[in-house]
Parts: sequence; structure tokens; C-alpha cells
Amino acid sequence: MIKITDLSFGYSGAESLVLRRANLEISDGEFVLVCGPTGSGKSTFLKLFNGLAPHFTAGNLSGTIEIDGEVVTGLQPHELASRVGYVNQQPEGSFVADSVEDEIAYSLEQLGFEPKQMRQLVVEFSQLVGIEDLLDRSLLTLSGGQQQRVAIASALAAGQKILILDEPTSALDPAAASEIIDLLKLLTKERGITVLLAEHRLERVIAKADSVIVVNGDSSVNKFAPHEAFKEYRLVPPVVELSKKLRWQPAALDPSEAAGRTIDRNQWINRVAAPVGKTLLSAEGIVVNYGATKAVQGVSLEAREGEVLAVMGENGSGKSSLIWALQGIGEMQSGSIETPWGNPRAMSDDRKLDVLAMVPQKAADLLFLNSLADELAESDRVADVAATSTAALFAKFAGRVDPKLHPRDLSAGQQLSLVLAMQLVKNAPIVLLDEPTRGLDYQAKAQLARVLSQLQLEKKSVIVATHDIEFVAQIASRILVLGEGVAVDQRSVDQVLSAGNPLASQVSQALKTPGLISVQQVIV
Amino acid sequence: MRELIAKRADALHPGAWWILGLCLAMAAGLCQSIWIAVAISTVAVTTAWAFRTSAPWSRSLGFYLTLAAFIVAVRLGFRIVFNSGLETSKIAFSLQDIEINLGFGPSVHLFGAVSWVTLQSATLDGLRLAAIVLSVAMANTVANPRRLLKSTPGALYEVATAISVAINLAPQLIESLQRVRRARRLRGRSKKIGALAGTVIPVLEDTLDRSLALAASMDSRGFGRRGDLSKGQQVAVRVLSLTSLAIFAIGVYLLLSDPSLSLVAAAALATGAVEVLFVVRISSLRNVRTRYRKQNLTSLDLFFLFMAFGILVFALTGFGGAR
Repeated sequence: MIKITDLSFGYSGAESLVLRRANLEISDGEFVLVCGPTGSGKSTFLKLFNGLAPHFTAGNLSGTIEIDGEVVTGLQPHELASRVGYVNQQPEGSFVADSVEDEIAYSLEQLGFEPKQMRQLVVEFSQLVGIEDLLDRSLLTLSGGQQQRVAIASALAAGQKILILDEPTSALDPAAASEIIDLLKLLTKERGITVLLAEHRLERVIAKADSVIVVNGDSSVNKFAPHEAFKEYRLVPPVVELSKKLRWQPAALDPSEAAGRTIDRNQWINRVAAPVGKTLLSAEGIVVNYGATKAVQGVSLEAREGEVLAVMGENGSGKSSLIWALQGIGEMQSGSIETPWGNPRAMSDDRKLDVLAMVPQKAADLLFLNSLADELAESDRVADVAATSTAALFAKFAGRVDPKLHPRDLSAGQQLSLVLAMQLVKNAPIVLLDEPTRGLDYQAKAQLARVLSQLQLEKKSVIVATHDIEFVAQIASRILVLGEGVAVDQRSVDQVLSAGNPLASQVSQALKTPGLISVQQVIV
Repeated sequence: MRELIAKRADALHPGAWWILGLCLAMAAGLCQSIWIAVAISTVAVTTAWAFRTSAPWSRSLGFYLTLAAFIVAVRLGFRIVFNSGLETSKIAFSLQDIEINLGFGPSVHLFGAVSWVTLQSATLDGLRLAAIVLSVAMANTVANPRRLLKSTPGALYEVATAISVAINLAPQLIESLQRVRRARRLRGRSKKIGALAGTVIPVLEDTLDRSLALAASMDSRGFGRRGDLSKGQQVAVRVLSLTSLAIFAIGVYLLLSDPSLSLVAAAALATGAVEVLFVVRISSLRNVRTRYRKQNLTSLDLFFLFMAFGILVFALTGFGGAR
């Protein structure tokens, strides 16, 4: 059992504490979902349990954490390593060894297990997480889901009874993510392992969680039963929002809990069909190969003005490669791309900025100055627009933010808003976005959805590559589904996300009403 | 099949492979016969070929063979081009002699008559160098560098970890460099800041973030745990470290200052080396770690090491008169 008594933690120099005098209890084998807005301190809260906070993050700690009756506050991470396993957001960044087997054995080596015992444990835990066939593989050749399994096995192999995971599914496609969540649930049930998991996409986890800890960002940290949590908390998954709108008692946490519920036809409206404008970008037979790897194999698409085209598909299905090929910087072996302004691949970088705007997966890569104000001013200069144009756009997206802040200290949502503002201020008619919702909470996502609707009104053409079904349900006009580099589905959003499809949205699963896929359509 | 290959590469301890390779290289350096150089090269190449795996470090055998051939060709070529033109022994073939007057000193002769003796000595030089390269190539092809790092004594564990982490981070650094350079092109040309700063700053920040994440991951998995040394052991480590340093200094001084005392110098250096071994040994006791699949020296390893030293002694004594 974990018991937290009067626990307070704050960063040195910060105005407010991350948590103030928190009191919680977590029992053995409990599956705890930790949620809260971006930047509220979820990660920090998790790190308190294995000593990474304050030993790695700095800051002031008071109060106590007890594990099985023993006070562990003040202990170093390596002193807690035999009790608490920690899994990072990006597994590939935390790997120490080169092969799966050596990676699982790493903490066993550090903790001084006997070689014979190590071999047994490596086999046992690789079987437990389902990677026994991959033991001699190099870690770099694994898929994201497999890497996350390796990380979980190596966090538990030494017999740790507590597992902390910081957004373990943020880089995974829906199928791989739900497999990981199922695995974690299995571990709590069969092995009595306590799981503490932070996540933004609550819809992926909430149905499996035994309890919810809300880290609110105002120094309060509270634990609720899943059904209680969302009575107070604003940032909720679509099906909970639907329950709230339709006043279901109790609220459905998962589409399956909505079985038997119905909605009257006058309670929802059709999605606004995008006006069929002229084609701004048409691509024909795009092929992208990296050596022997075939990333994209002959995909064709058309993007029209005033519409949002979503490119979906599993990890490694070629979404990013396609977007980069359209932009022109990425590799492309054959195919043709046309816009009314010419072929973007034949344009100079400067000329292309007037036609195409792109925000890459890691938006922060575009930032390199020392303050928000500098970045905004520099953007005005590069785009050759009136001073403060970028700042005005940024304020529209993100509200008021202290311009003296360092760009790296902005939240994920603010960084995205900044890069969006920088790229959109040039007023290019075609906008490309690669996985823009990664690390965003529901509020930041809703904000991004508003920006994209505005772009639609301005008759721009938006192409967005994403895993995020619920986001697509909100904003997209059409969907292109890729599978292993080939277009496997290219229909309207209503059809692709409807009940019974692999990419069904929560609202379509819950109500099974053709044409109703997102909670924004519900008017009550 | 995979298992068989894995067994082949692990047939010998990586340390044993390297010692074998270095002994062969030294023997090659000492040899005075074309045939012995060829024999050593053949042994090295066939061993590397037979024991190579599909691992990245195993793929370099072709490169080493090309390098060896290049060395022999260059060595021969140079001797033919920069010929002294003053051959006294039997001439193998003659080329048009080119005399270049540099305007100072004696004039330079290129090409001209080439004798058998010249050809032979050039071939020997080339083959000897090639044999050295191939012997090292054998060790490099067959021995797993990571496993070699794993066999380091406990006291050097931190250093070995740093090296293997660096090996892992290098490809990631290249990846983030490519990503940031792409991102810069998306942003458009900036007049305020040079391309360098715009690339270097995000890459450095990225690397720093990754390093911190890795350090946090290692720490939370138990890296940094240490056992305790007794008071006596701590004192012994300090005394031995200091005296070994002093003895080394004296040894080096003697070696450089008075050639007649080289035996004394050698003895001093050897004593220092033995003391360092003790320091490493005692410091390793602090280590609480164990090693997963640690390779110990087997009797096969010892047999091969014995053979390797045998080859070296044979070479030092002049290959039983084969020179």
C-alpha cells in the first residue's frame, strides 16, 4: 500500500506549489489514472514516487510517502529501484542496452541478481509482456508498441510491485495503445502490481482504471472513483462529455456503458459539409522508399480549398513520409504533385513558404531564440509582415502569455500555438500538420480545432496526419487511411469513423447513430 | 541457424580474440618472409570469415580486405615510381627513366630499371603491413565490442557504461540533426541568426533533454548503487594508488634518462603495473552489480591465448630460422 501524508512539493523559485498538503492512499493492485491539464505537474507528481522528484527535478519536498509502512521520502531513485519501476514517455530515449534481452536484464544487473536467476526472470517477464520471440532483436528495429513492452518488462523484472508510467501511449496508434493498456490491467489483476499512469487521452484508459487522481494545477491533488472524478473535472473524454450534455445518470465512462442509451433526432445536427471548392493540391502515385523499406507505395490524394483532409493509419503506415513528400523536403522516388502555383518540390524554400505552411511532429524544433518576444519578432521579419502580426495571431491561439518566457518553458500547447502562428502568418493557402495533438490536453485540442475551423473559413486547404480519432471526428472533412504505405480507405469522415469500423469514434460507438460521430454535433 | 551463428561469435572471449589478433599482428610486424606474411594473412582472413556474424561490426571484413590490397599495391607502385635508378642486382624489367631537375640538389629519377630484389622487398613490406591490418581486422570483425565493454572490471564500470551510452546516442544525434535542419527549412531564412546557431541550439537542447531522460531512466533502474569498502581496504587503495604513480614516474624517468638502467626501469614499470591491478581489484569489491551472461575465460580461451603467445615467441626468436 502507498500512503501519502501532508505531501507538498514546489519548484524553487516558482510562485505556486505543484501540490499542497496532499493526503492519499493507494492500495495494492490498484490501477490509478493520473490526469490534469498540460503543465499541471502530473509528471512531477509521478516522479515523487521513485525519488526522481526532487533528486532529478530539484525543488522542495515536505510530508511523507510510505510504501508498505516504510517512509521512502528522501530516498534516491536507485535506492527505490527494487520497489518502483518507471516507464518514460519515449521508451527509445531511455534504453541503455542494444538488445531486448540485455535491456530487460539491466536493472537486474544493477540490483545484483545471480546470473542464473537473471536468465529465468528475463524469460519469465518477456513472456508476461509477450515479447519472448524478440529477445535477441536490436531495440531500434522494434515498433513503438514493442518498445513500450520491453520498457515495461525491464521496469518489473526485479520484482517491483509499483509501476509508474508517464504517458506511455502518447506515441502509439489506437490499436497498439489499447494493447498496452490491456497488458497493464492484466498486470494489476494477476500480479497485484500497482499501476500509476499519467495520460491525456483519457478515453484510452478511463474504462480500465480503478481510480483517478486529478492533479489540477492549482496545488490541489485529489483522488476519486472514476465516476466521481468527472463531476468536477472539466477535461473529459468525448463520451463523458456526451453523458454530461444528455444528463445521463450515471455518466458513461466508456462507449460500452452507454449500451441501450439513445438520442432524439432533434438533439443533434449534421456535420457541416465542407463546400466543394477548387483543388489546391493534387498528388498522383507518390512512392517513398528508404533503402529497402517501402514507406509509401503509390498514394494519390486531392486537397481542396476550405476542407481538412485527415491522413490516418497505424504507426509506420507512411503518414509522416507522405506529408514530408508533399511538402517537398522529404524523399520521393516517383509520383507527381501539382498546385495552382506549380510543383512544390521544384520551388525554392523561400518561394514555397508562400504556398505551403507546415508544422512538423516536434514543433519545438523550429524554435531557437531565447524568448517568446524574440521568436515573435523574428517571425514577423522572416514573413515580411507588419510588426506584431505573429504576436496577434499567437494571442488569438493561446491567450496572454508572458513574452519574456523562454520558448522551451512554454507548455506543449503553447509551443504548438507559437509555431502555428509563425507558420500561418505567412498566409500560405495549403497547411500541412504532422501529429499536432501529441501531448495536448482536451482544452488545447479544442483550441487547435477552432484554429483549423477558422482556416477552413479562410478557404485554406489543411492536410493533417494524426492518430487521434476524436480530434479527426471534430475537424476533418475527409479521411485517407493508410496501411503499410497504401491507401486502404478514402471515404467521408462519417463513414470511416462510424460504429463497427476499426476507427470508430467514441460517440459513434456509444450511440450507433449514422451521421453522429462527435459530441460537438449534440445540441442540448 | 541464428543460435549457431551466435555460438560461433561467442566461441572465444572477446578479450581473447583481441589478444590473438594483436599477437598475430606483432608476429607479422616481425616477420622477414613473404610466405609467413601470406600465411598470417590467410589465417586471419579465414578465421574472420568463419566466425563473422551479421552484426554491424562484422560487415567490415570486405573493407579491410580492400584496404590490405590497396596497401600492397601502393607499396609496390611507389617503389617502381620512386626508383633510385641505381640497381646493381638482376633487373626484372626496365621502364623509361625520367629525370627531373628541381633546380637544386641532385636531380630526381622516376621509373627506370627495377630489380628483382627491389620488387621482393617492396612486396614483403606491403604484405607485412597488410598482414598487420588483417590481423587487427580479424579481432574487430569477430569480437563484439559491447561484450568486450561488459568484460571490464567493476572499477571501470562507469567508464564502460559511458562509452556504451555514447555508442547508443550517436545515431540519435544524427537523427535529431536531420530533423532540426528540416525544421529550419520550414521556418524560412532568418537574417538575425546564422544557420549554425539555428541548428546547433535545438540539437544541443535535444541532446541535453535526451541525456537527462536517459540518466533518470538509469538511476530509477538502480544505476549508481554501491557497496562499502572496509577501512583497511580504503587505506590500501589510497596507498597503492599513490605508490604506483610514484614508481611509474621513477620508471619513466630512468627509461628516458639512462639507457644503461633499462632493466631497472622495466622492473619499476612492472611493479607499478601490478600495483594498479591490485587497486582495480580492490575497488571492484565496491561493486554490487552482477553481469548478465558474463563470459568467463574458458579452457578453450586459455588454449588459444597460449597459442597466441607461442606464435609471438616463435616470431621473436626468428621463426625458427625462417628469416
